[in-house]
Amino acid sequence: MTRAILIAVVMATAIVSAQSGAGRASSGPPPYKPPRTASGQPDVNGFWQALNTANWDLEAHEAAAGPVLQLGAAYAVPPGRGVVVDGPIPYKPDALAMKKKYAANALKEDAEVKCYLPGVPRVMYMPYPVQIVQSASTIIMMSEFASAVRTIYLNSTTRPPADTWMGWSNGRWDGDTLVIDSSGFMGGTVGALDEEGAVHVRFLDRAGNYHTEALHVVERIRRTDADHLSYQATIEDPNVYTRPWTISMPLYRRVEPNMQLGDFKCEEFVGDLVYGKYQKK
Amino acid sequence: MGSIRRSSFLCALLAVSVATVGAQGKYKVPRTADGQPDLQGYWTNLTYTPFERPKELANKPFYTEKEAVEAFNKAVGESQNQVVHYVNTDFGATPVQTGAQPNLRTSLVIDPPDGRIPPMTPDAQKREAARAAAERGAGPLARSWRDDRGTVWCVFHDRAVPSVTAPYGSNYHIVQSKDYVVMIYEWNSERRVIPLDGQPHGTVPMYAGDSRGHWEGDTLVVDTVNFNPKRTFMGSPGTPPAVTMTPAFHLTERFTRTADDTITHTYTVEDPATWTRPWTVEMPMHRIKGPQLEYACNENNVDAFTTLRNARAQEAGKLAPPDRVRNVDDPKATVIEREETGASKAGEAGKAK
Repeated sequence: MTRAILIAVVMATAIVSAQSGAGRASSGPPPYKPPRTASGQPDVNGFWQALNTANWDLEAHEAAAGPVLQLGAAYAVPPGRGVVVDGPIPYKPDALAMKKKYAANALKEDAEVKCYLPGVPRVMYMPYPVQIVQSASTIIMMSEFASAVRTIYLNSTTRPPADTWMGWSNGRWDGDTLVIDSSGFMGGTVGALDEEGAVHVRFLDRAGNYHTEALHVVERIRRTDADHLSYQATIEDPNVYTRPWTISMPLYRRVEPNMQLGDFKCEEFVGDLVYGKYQKK
Repeated sequence: MGSIRRSSFLCALLAVSVATVGAQGKYKVPRTADGQPDLQGYWTNLTYTPFERPKELANKPFYTEKEAVEAFNKAVGESQNQVVHYVNTDFGATPVQTGAQPNLRTSLVIDPPDGRIPPMTPDAQKREAARAAAERGAGPLARSWRDDRGTVWCVFHDRAVPSVTAPYGSNYHIVQSKDYVVMIYEWNSERRVIPLDGQPHGTVPMYAGDSRGHWEGDTLVVDTVNFNPKRTFMGSPGTPPAVTMTPAFHLTERFTRTADDTITHTYTVEDPATWTRPWTVEMPMHRIKGPQLEYACNENNVDAFTTLRNARAQEAGKLAPPDRVRNVDDPKATVIEREETGASKAGEAGKAK
């Protein structure tokens, strides 16, 4: 990490701390001490889900009509106060122009529409539960969406062996905080896909905020009480942004006693959309 | 080039495999921090052992160690002995390259005692015959991305559960917490989450079924029901033809670590709507080196576009039918063999694209 980036990350963290009240004087209750697993790690096992509009737009936004007229209010965009801590998202000028172009073409360019793996950090705030299963050396995070899986290698410094859609994640515990460093991301589809199947960049939300294969994400996840995680992700991509920037939100435990990830194998729902042109009529 | 690489394979193989077959005896299973038997790591169940016992071995359920190694090396040799169109060897993906080991069993099916899947009920025979006829009636060309006619179907990879013979990619990453065992299958990154908390089964069908696990001594016992009826079971070359998974399909599995580098995995299939009696398979899982990377099937499904595009072009008479291929997925022959062999033909095929 360059020095400028490091400073930006420290600043972003300070801002988040101030907002969450952690930076205040010692009058409040002592910080929550999460229970530990048998191997001594803070226990973040369970089903977690964001309850916000980040997947619609990471930045503050008004309510708006949805992208398909026929769906009316059912799929209209709900308003949101935004989850970017140090916004607006610091786009380079040409990248901001691209963002607007992508936003206008979201139904074609957004991997979510095509049921492609959503990447990081987006998988964590899509409107689908994420199950965390924690062992002594490995943490698995599984989203219901597209059966996406993240593997977090604890205390590993391995560099990504290949680019993948969900990236390569090395994790470590910093006190009670799980710090995950991820890179090795795909920046779009490759190969001889038809345009119906292609996406050229990776969306962070449905509003066209995007990244390329240069993405580097540092997440900080900390349990703040029995049923909440504090989730922060610092997003860096020198192809697109002038500096790293940070999002922050709580993740909520799905407390239903019979909670379980179901199948959301969405390729079933998009095959006709993507390949329709070549199917027998 | 291929022949040099392959012969060095076989030499290495003879040296290592005898020791592996011989590893037996009372094994003390390592435990996780939670005190549960530790099944974690990367494992393969790729194998050259036939799914059903060959007729000529009808009364011979076990090989001697020497015979097992010979059978293994023979199978490896046969799988290399073909005109090469697409060779998994070059990707390091064949069973022998990935960690398959000789097996003293002469078939993966271990019950009934003859190593053959029991007969289907009369109703099931009619049902499957009708399904096969409908498939044939639909012709050779893929009509939609759903057709399994050369198109790759990324919704679910059905070799993941229940385990069956595969040509490559049949590898598992197992991770355990106190309350869950997670198995991620390399092919299509199929994941299977097995709760250990004693909750009753859910009611919503899932492609990999709805699994519940518990420990019996050193053994993980997994009970799975509610398989999605849109999928099938078997149907890979090397296994019997695909059969429907009815709502009555019930899978009972046992996973036991029997050595540092082996999990013995057995499963019993019970479906009174299909077979006249339950039957049991044993597929050893051998430790392999990780990591296991993302499969991302749907994200780069060039194959589906190409197959559908070419099918429409053939219907319009703008494209000649392709050369016939066989053994696309056969574990013993993971190459596609042209009907007419010969170097010049193979050369033409290379240019045809």
